[in-house]
Amino acid sequence: MQADEHLAPLAQRDLMLELDVTYACFVTLRFNLSDIFGHDIAFLAAVVVLLGGAAGAHAQTPGSPAAANGKAIYEQRCVQCHGAGGRGDGAAAPVLIPRPRDFTSAKYKLRTTETGSLPTDDDLIRTIAHGVPGTSMPGWEPFLSPGEIAAVATYVKSFSPRFATERPQGIPTVAASIPGAPSPQSIVAGKAVYEKLRCSACHGTDGKGTGAIATDLKDDEGRPLPATSLAEPWTFRGGATPQDVYLRFRTGMNGTPMPSFVEAATDGDLRNLAAYVLTLARKPVWDMDAAELTAFYQAQAAEAARDPVRRGRYLVQSIGCTFCHTPVRADGSLVDGMLFAGGQRWRAVPFGDFVSYNLTSDKETGLGGWTDDQIKTLVTRGVRRDGSRMIPFPMPWISYANLTPADVSAIVAYLRTIPPITNRIPPPMRPNIVSYLWGKFQLLILKKDLPLLAFPGNAGSGGLPAEVPTKAGGA
Amino acid sequence: MNVRRVATWTIGVLLVLAVAGFLAFLYLIPPFDLVSPESLIAPETAAPPSLASITDPKTRALAERGKYIVMITGCVDCHAPPGPNGPDFSRYMGGGLKTSFKGHGTFVSANLTPDRAAGLGRRTDEDVLRVLRSGVSADGGRQLWYRAMPWAWFSNWTEEDRRAVVVYLRQIAPVAHKIPPPSDTASVTYDPAAIEEGSAVDAGTTP
Repeated sequence: MQADEHLAPLAQRDLMLELDVTYACFVTLRFNLSDIFGHDIAFLAAVVVLLGGAAGAHAQTPGSPAAANGKAIYEQRCVQCHGAGGRGDGAAAPVLIPRPRDFTSAKYKLRTTETGSLPTDDDLIRTIAHGVPGTSMPGWEPFLSPGEIAAVATYVKSFSPRFATERPQGIPTVAASIPGAPSPQSIVAGKAVYEKLRCSACHGTDGKGTGAIATDLKDDEGRPLPATSLAEPWTFRGGATPQDVYLRFRTGMNGTPMPSFVEAATDGDLRNLAAYVLTLARKPVWDMDAAELTAFYQAQAAEAARDPVRRGRYLVQSIGCTFCHTPVRADGSLVDGMLFAGGQRWRAVPFGDFVSYNLTSDKETGLGGWTDDQIKTLVTRGVRRDGSRMIPFPMPWISYANLTPADVSAIVAYLRTIPPITNRIPPPMRPNIVSYLWGKFQLLILKKDLPLLAFPGNAGSGGLPAEVPTKAGGA
Repeated sequence: MNVRRVATWTIGVLLVLAVAGFLAFLYLIPPFDLVSPESLIAPETAAPPSLASITDPKTRALAERGKYIVMITGCVDCHAPPGPNGPDFSRYMGGGLKTSFKGHGTFVSANLTPDRAAGLGRRTDEDVLRVLRSGVSADGGRQLWYRAMPWAWFSNWTEEDRRAVVVYLRQIAPVAHKIPPPSDTASVTYDPAAIEEGSAVDAGTTP
């Protein structure tokens, strides 16, 4: 709604607004760039942006000042995940769970509109301002003004042509009165709806996200997307009030396997279902007392012992093995589709070049030919298969020595499940003995600081997948 | 004549031996290969504070969980101040390690101790959680480059485990070690082919 104000035809008052916005853009950009590059370049960049913005203002719609401001903010704060082209393919995107939103698809999870419809401006603004719980999307409210958030929303919309031609279809009942505390009858009725709509197929009968088909779920891009645990409302993407939860049933979460149930159930059913689902919540650890916490951690350990692959996956995805065990492009982005394939080359002067190993289950070039003990010994003691020793970096095996035996086994169990990628990794490369001794002399006698360098590309045999063609370069 | 010849030869041989010995000494140290893995592991494992003195059992249980996560994630790999002989664990989590990233600037690892002036003491729990979850720093909401602070992976810890990490960080002994803000990459000249250049120089200052 706020963004629409900027779309009004230019009047004298609006011209002032345009100037204000551009000036704010200038100040923000200069301030932030000067942190990174120093004042001269920042000033130059700001001038370029100002001139570019001025040129663009004539070429584009009257909404361009907001869009230009939004673009500047977007390119500072959003690109690491969502990518410069809004495709959800930013530098860090491959390891984020769930993946960042692809704005070009215009499919949004968090809406107050009919399934398949575009979100309203307020929907986008709400998400940008408050963030998405259970994901890495932060709420920007503490750092951006309402006008800036609206400008980002306007810019985000510009990634899809659908916003130019379609209108969001609001749902009629969204403003209906919301019951306060749900009645016991409502909860009982909601349980029946939970069974009738077969929510348990994905979310499980206990709501813990362990239904029969929970592990097969994929998003619209075909990427695995685990079913949400209904026992942890603090991770509910759209919030955990009865109204929030009702809205997800009513509107569906586009782009994910979570459908809208508007055809399958009445509005009252869905409100009862929301009441029931919220009763599945367990206490978060920060609300538990000491005895509850101890029991919870014990239950967690028992669960990990029952399903080591799940535990191992959690550890591997969170510790950051793919930081090194994935090739990185020259712009610093992880190569999607080659997670765990290794090939990242590090140079620890003067010790030599070390290429991160292929951790996939490939028999020839990955861990497929390694025994469990060989993997465990390397990870926790820094001793390779051939008995040779690793230096304590770049592979931080000293830190992994602190893993419990159960967790090391879980990590190995998970690594076994990673689909094979053929990528033969060269052994460590020592520099010639003169460089080596000279480096040692500098390091130990002259106390000179020697660098640890990381190089882009894949130093393994597997090469890199072709670059995804950009929109501009296509056809 | 003969005595002088013997003396010259002796000195010559001794010199050659000394140089060879020195080179062999250089070749072999630091003795990564000469000591057991355990003795390399021990200093890092012994560095974190003991949590046994925490009287509140809930805080202790959360802090223990947080400590485990911090240790296996290797936070200390970047957040230990670089000392003359490797990481300085006596100033545990005091920060100061400098790393440069092509196109993204130079970052110095933060002081994670509860020190009010230099560490996380003036930060709210949510400030710290936001960095771990999204890489967004409390100073102006700047997003840290994900290869400087690997928040993209740390966002995959559950919110419950992440909060346990914050509980633990609050238990570390404060270290007065001031960390400069991120800066430009102009000073980095090591290798044009590299995209990341770490340096084990302490970029922090102790008042």
